[in-house]
Amino acid sequence: MLTEILLVARKDLRVERRAKIALGQVAPLALLILMVFAFALDANTSLLERGAGGLYWLAVLYGGTLLIQRSFDVETDDGNMDALRMSAIGMPSLFLGKALALFVQITVLQLILGPGILLLYNVGVVDWALLFAAAIAGTLAFSVCGVLWGVMSAGLRVRATLLPLLLVPVLAPVLLAGSRAFETALGVRAGAGWTWAGLMFVIAAVHTALGLGAFGFLLEEG
Amino acid sequence: MPGANSAAKMTATPVTRVLGVSALAATALMAVLGLIVSPPDVIQGEAVRMLYVHVPSIWIAYGSFALTSTSSVLFLRRSRRRADQGRHYDRLAGSAAEVGVVFTAITLITGMLWGKVTWGTYWQWDARLTTTVLLFVTYLGYLALRRLPAEPTVRSRRAAVMALISFVNVPIVHYSVDWWRTLHQKASLSVGRRPEITGEMYWTLLYSTLAVTILATWLIIHRYRVIRLEELRDEEGLEALIASRLNKDVGSH
Amino acid sequence: MSEVATVVVGWGITFVALATYSTWVVLRGKGIGQELGIGEIEQSDVEKDTSATTDS
Repeated sequence: MLTEILLVARKDLRVERRAKIALGQVAPLALLILMVFAFALDANTSLLERGAGGLYWLAVLYGGTLLIQRSFDVETDDGNMDALRMSAIGMPSLFLGKALALFVQITVLQLILGPGILLLYNVGVVDWALLFAAAIAGTLAFSVCGVLWGVMSAGLRVRATLLPLLLVPVLAPVLLAGSRAFETALGVRAGAGWTWAGLMFVIAAVHTALGLGAFGFLLEEG
Repeated sequence: MPGANSAAKMTATPVTRVLGVSALAATALMAVLGLIVSPPDVIQGEAVRMLYVHVPSIWIAYGSFALTSTSSVLFLRRSRRRADQGRHYDRLAGSAAEVGVVFTAITLITGMLWGKVTWGTYWQWDARLTTTVLLFVTYLGYLALRRLPAEPTVRSRRAAVMALISFVNVPIVHYSVDWWRTLHQKASLSVGRRPEITGEMYWTLLYSTLAVTILATWLIIHRYRVIRLEELRDEEGLEALIASRLNKDVGSH
Repeated sequence: MSEVATVVVGWGITFVALATYSTWVVLRGKGIGQELGIGEIEQSDVEKDTSATTDS
């Protein structure tokens, strides 16, 4: 099963490496979003510093949604979905493989956004361990939910507008938890940063379980 | 037309006519009880009358969403065995969700108005308010998914899975928002001034819930039938299309 | 807004919303039923046939 998961993930990442959508288009756009937040808050340094955690996760949400969309457009464009369905690869492996590929891509996005907030918003890190734990937990939750809702809207003509509508309410707790955990890690809020990071791990775990159970229903045709 | 008689029953039957008339009468009586007969509250005054629409609405909304989830599970179980089975559970899930969304909207609007007179503000970032809005948007998304042009079986399956995941997600959303509002800051406004619900107020609330339940049941049954009709129309449209294509083929030969 | 006005507006919105939604559901059912020719029990097939011929 592990080899199957890696196979699916490697396929997705190879497609991505050729097209360079994540690095070439999504990451620069997410950086632009960080700039635009500064416009919105009138470059008020103290506001930006206090809001850095939340703004970071909003940028991740924006970029992440595009990456999720992309991950399934690749599948549905040339009837790849049928090929996958026919292949011997089990549904759980397919789900986890696609989630793994998304995890890698969103991590790359964050490796660009992270230094972005440190440099642009003038924030310092007080708890590196928490920062990384929260980033990993949040990314896990993002990629698992992303695959689940990505396949839900895959192949439909209006997916570009449907996916964000479905995704944001589900990711709301992750955005909340990520923002609070980052604020603690960045030293602008005292409090239960680790509790929030833990919550994100729980959300990721719950949705993994749901995804493993439901992915078959979503991919089966008629 | 054979079957026309049974099909005609799909828009109105004696049972739903009776149910519809009772719903009308029950809500009229609810207005009389809630607006005139029941007394004003000691603390909240007349504003307490919002209780009788606000609270039953959210109960009905929760009930409808629970019905959506239950029917979705049953649909998935039935359709797993045979793809064309369990359609009625799918229709039930859809109609309950729509009625639930209507009542959630009513809850939010009446809640905001009520909040304005008792708290002095339309909106508070309170756990329950925030969760309710997220719930509202989630089920709007569910209805959007149901409306999409796609193969019916595929669409129904996706909708059913979405209903399930959304239902599991409700407590997660609720607890995270609850933590957010209680873990870090003290509540800035004293929201806790809830009216004492006793005596006439208690009975009015109970009766209002009953009245709204009758109305919601009637709505769900009718919406179910309309979904059935929509499916029939789509099928018939498809058949007519195929027939006209076939005719054309025959004609050209 | 006074308390009474708020109550009136709140109940008003609720009843208008529910009435609108109920009407929409019933009319939509009637509409599609007629489209399919199965809406009314009273309407006999003969009537439908004659209306069809006058139309054409």
